Amino acid sequence: MGVIRAEPVRVTDWAAKSVGAAWRAFDLQLATYAGLLAAVGLVMAYTNSVENGISPIEAGTTFTRGLMWAGIAAVAFILATAFDYHWLKTLSWPVYALQLGLLVLTLAIGDGVGGSARWITVGPFTFQFSELAKILMIIVLANYLASRQARLDSLRAILGACLLVGPPLILVMLQPDLGTSLVFAAILAGMLWMSGASLVWLGALAAGVVAMIPIAWNYILRDYQKERLTSFLNPTPDITGSGYQLYQSQIAVGSGGWFGRGLTNGTQAQGDFLPVQTTDFVFSVLAEELGFVGGMVLFVLFALLLWRVLVAGWRSRDPFGSMFAAGLASMILFQLVVNAGMVMGIMPITGIPLPFVTHGGASLVSMAIGLGILQSINIRQTRAEW
Amino acid sequence: MNTHLDRSAVPDRRFSRYIVFGLIVVLAVGALTARLFYLQIANGTEYAAISARQRTVLEPIPAPRGLIYDRNGRLLVDNVPTFAVKIRPADLPNTQRDAVVARLAALLSTDASEIHGAIDSNPGSAFDLVRVAQDVDQATAQLISEAGYELPGVEVAVEARRQYTDGPLMSHLLGYTGPVSAEQLPDLREQGYQPDDLMGKVGLEAQYETDLRGTYGSESVARDATGRRTQVLQTVENAVPGASLTLTLDTRAQKNAEKALKWAMKKIGMTRGVVIAMNPQTGEILAMVSLPTYDNNRFARGISTADYAKLLKNKDKPLLNHAIQAHYAPGSTYKLVAGTGALNDREITPQTRVMTKPYLTLGDTKFYEWNRRGWGPCNIYCGFGHSSDTFFYQLAGMLGSDRLGYWANQYGFGAPSGVDLPSEVAGIVPTNAWKQDALGAEMFPGETYQAGIGQGYDAVTPLQLINAYAALANGGTLYQPQIVREIIGPDGEVVRPFEPKVIHEMDVRPSVLRVMRNAARETVTLRHTYNLVDLPIKIAGKSGTAEFGVPDSRGRLPYSSFFVGFTPKDPKHGSFDKPDSRLVVMAFAHDSRTKGNAATEIVKYFFQLHYGIKKDYRLPDLLERGNFYEID
Repeated sequence: MGVIRAEPVRVTDWAAKSVGAAWRAFDLQLATYAGLLAAVGLVMAYTNSVENGISPIEAGTTFTRGLMWAGIAAVAFILATAFDYHWLKTLSWPVYALQLGLLVLTLAIGDGVGGSARWITVGPFTFQFSELAKILMIIVLANYLASRQARLDSLRAILGACLLVGPPLILVMLQPDLGTSLVFAAILAGMLWMSGASLVWLGALAAGVVAMIPIAWNYILRDYQKERLTSFLNPTPDITGSGYQLYQSQIAVGSGGWFGRGLTNGTQAQGDFLPVQTTDFVFSVLAEELGFVGGMVLFVLFALLLWRVLVAGWRSRDPFGSMFAAGLASMILFQLVVNAGMVMGIMPITGIPLPFVTHGGASLVSMAIGLGILQSINIRQTRAEW
Repeated sequence: MNTHLDRSAVPDRRFSRYIVFGLIVVLAVGALTARLFYLQIANGTEYAAISARQRTVLEPIPAPRGLIYDRNGRLLVDNVPTFAVKIRPADLPNTQRDAVVARLAALLSTDASEIHGAIDSNPGSAFDLVRVAQDVDQATAQLISEAGYELPGVEVAVEARRQYTDGPLMSHLLGYTGPVSAEQLPDLREQGYQPDDLMGKVGLEAQYETDLRGTYGSESVARDATGRRTQVLQTVENAVPGASLTLTLDTRAQKNAEKALKWAMKKIGMTRGVVIAMNPQTGEILAMVSLPTYDNNRFARGISTADYAKLLKNKDKPLLNHAIQAHYAPGSTYKLVAGTGALNDREITPQTRVMTKPYLTLGDTKFYEWNRRGWGPCNIYCGFGHSSDTFFYQLAGMLGSDRLGYWANQYGFGAPSGVDLPSEVAGIVPTNAWKQDALGAEMFPGETYQAGIGQGYDAVTPLQLINAYAALANGGTLYQPQIVREIIGPDGEVVRPFEPKVIHEMDVRPSVLRVMRNAARETVTLRHTYNLVDLPIKIAGKSGTAEFGVPDSRGRLPYSSFFVGFTPKDPKHGSFDKPDSRLVVMAFAHDSRTKGNAATEIVKYFFQLHYGIKKDYRLPDLLERGNFYEID
């Protein structure tokens, strides 16, 4: 039976290989693009720290906290790269349990705005475990789908994947965090697609989701969520109400022009016209201050990163590696499109972070862990099993 | 079974799925790029314009308020920078309001209800600043400033506060500034007032508001989403400072007047009085004191509602300028009217003797002489000099109420004097027409008698009274009393020079007024006014005692005393034949039941101080409680 597949590589095997061989398989391009994106995030943290009239390099500013998290993320990336990803396959179910545990914990003792429970506060730090849960979900799903490569034409395997995603998705929905639960759905969809699951069943599944929409609309979504979801469709938004953020965000983006107003010079951003400018609407600050050129640089970096993630998946001889890459790529792409689209008024308003750029330790560290695992997959493919 | 085999189960699909995923990436990034291009490049100009529009706003630059000087250039009002605490209600979340207000109240050591009250009576919109405290000390201002994040919506502003050099001494004249009221705001907005603006509320501050205020400038200011100004972009229009005022008032005379009045008030235990000094040749007011007074600096600093209520409740009405905003029966000082009228209408000549007696009878009513004896046959000098009631009952009877009223109007009674101070009252001159209008009946002859001696319906303001005697002293010109001499523009140029304003020339023969002036001198020389004649200066004048209110247990009414006196141009050697007087002074002592005429003592003391007379002629015994009528 499939015991070989799940057997972890012994430490001695890996240590016996030359460090040079491992380094050659390390995708320097992937690390570079991720590093540049994180740098963009730091630049945005800097410009967002200036406006308070406090020195951005003082302790406690968005920028210094961003620097700290970038350091932690770099360490997490290196550790994840060094860690043999094969253990993750063995530990798939404990990982799943950990994921559910973190989400339940968040619901139990988490804080959030207006009675929600989204993050856990320890001392001066807050950590949003739903970000880490996304990576853990990818690990669990990758293991599940990779071990069922031969059975992906059956409805059973597809429904099984859906059942795996169900509990965490519902737990996140309860926080309530509609945006993150949509990311879970996107990860599932992307991974099912890349796993090669039957088009017939995927189509049926998609039809089922569409059929669910009216039910979700009437019984699950709250009023403010509906309002946010639809306000982008309204050509003349209520500028003082729910459309305010969107309107101000579009003005910010629009007034950027080719090259932007220059860092820290964004009047929309520095004048506080933009809501949540360090998090959900960070892209509008970028677009206003760095212009079309800055926006394009960001998009190109994301495209290159996605390319390297897909290349890693393609090259992986281990189906787990391919599936993991597919999940990671789906997540990054979905978050990019929904966040940037929201800021530019072509996507509903959901609190989905822009990977690497949105200020937030959990998001950045989770991305670093995800990419670290991908690097771990990269450098452990030279040891072919045939 | 191995992984290789597993994967080969779906090899064809795997490639196509990567291709499709890659296409989705390209399409998604392409769509985002297209949208970015649409917003930033295709419509960038439009969005930049919206952005510029919403972040700049035209804000007013307050103009420095004009200053006020006395006639000798002494600064009476200054502008001093102070800290004010303001709240923009829109930035103060309702859920935090109680907590923020409580915190602010503790910092300002005031009552939370005062702050709530200020916010609730905000005349502007929720986006306009509301002043909740002014004249905050620097340490407190700094504390509040630094607590900014804990006090949402609260701002500390530097603004100019009025500082009144002499405080209570001139409060009734200068008045004070205060926040614009909600009722006035709609009209004032059109004139460029802001909801948190200060404006003159009473006194000269109100009367000369348009001159003092100046013209506000404007500047374009960058602001953030909450409306907070972040930086000044450019000055659009410079503010033009307000014009300054030079008063006719002489601080030294004002202080003397207050000193004299306070002395008598303390001596008697009296609570209300007025002293006015004027130049009868021009209508310039040299001093005007009304007691009790209040400190206008307390208003300028923002008076608490409790303190304000206390001022309002005081029975002597300290907020009222009793010289112009209240009227009283003038008593015998009013005999000037009947005397002038009877002479000019040729009812009598200066030599005509009229029989004075213990009382006159009209129907069943007896009209008593004040000393219940009379002086036998008396001419005008004797009648006016002794202030004979029976003499003037008869003169009033000769004239009749309408003719008496005519002469009262000639002296300026019955109409506001037009002094440049707000809220002046007109007083009452009883005529048939007036009574018909007010009470629906003609004047009874007895009422005309009373009107002739300044009792009954007669009501005058102290200013009207002194102005009538000023007309007597200057030979028949009724001037409009003035308190502002010159208006001086911000560049120091006199915008409006001083010019005496004539209400009318009295329709009277100069000889009649000469007789009345000498009769007024007779009042002094006959010792009707005690030792006034002993002073080394010549004074002519007339005292008056007027009953008011309700009788006491012995059936006697409380009364007030008046005295109006004037000196010739050369106070030592001049005569009252010539209408050349430069100084007329009046005193009004409300509810002054004393052995002598309290007002006379006050005016005497003022003359002593004014002319620097070393010897003290005051007779404090006369100010002891007693009944004036019983002594003589």
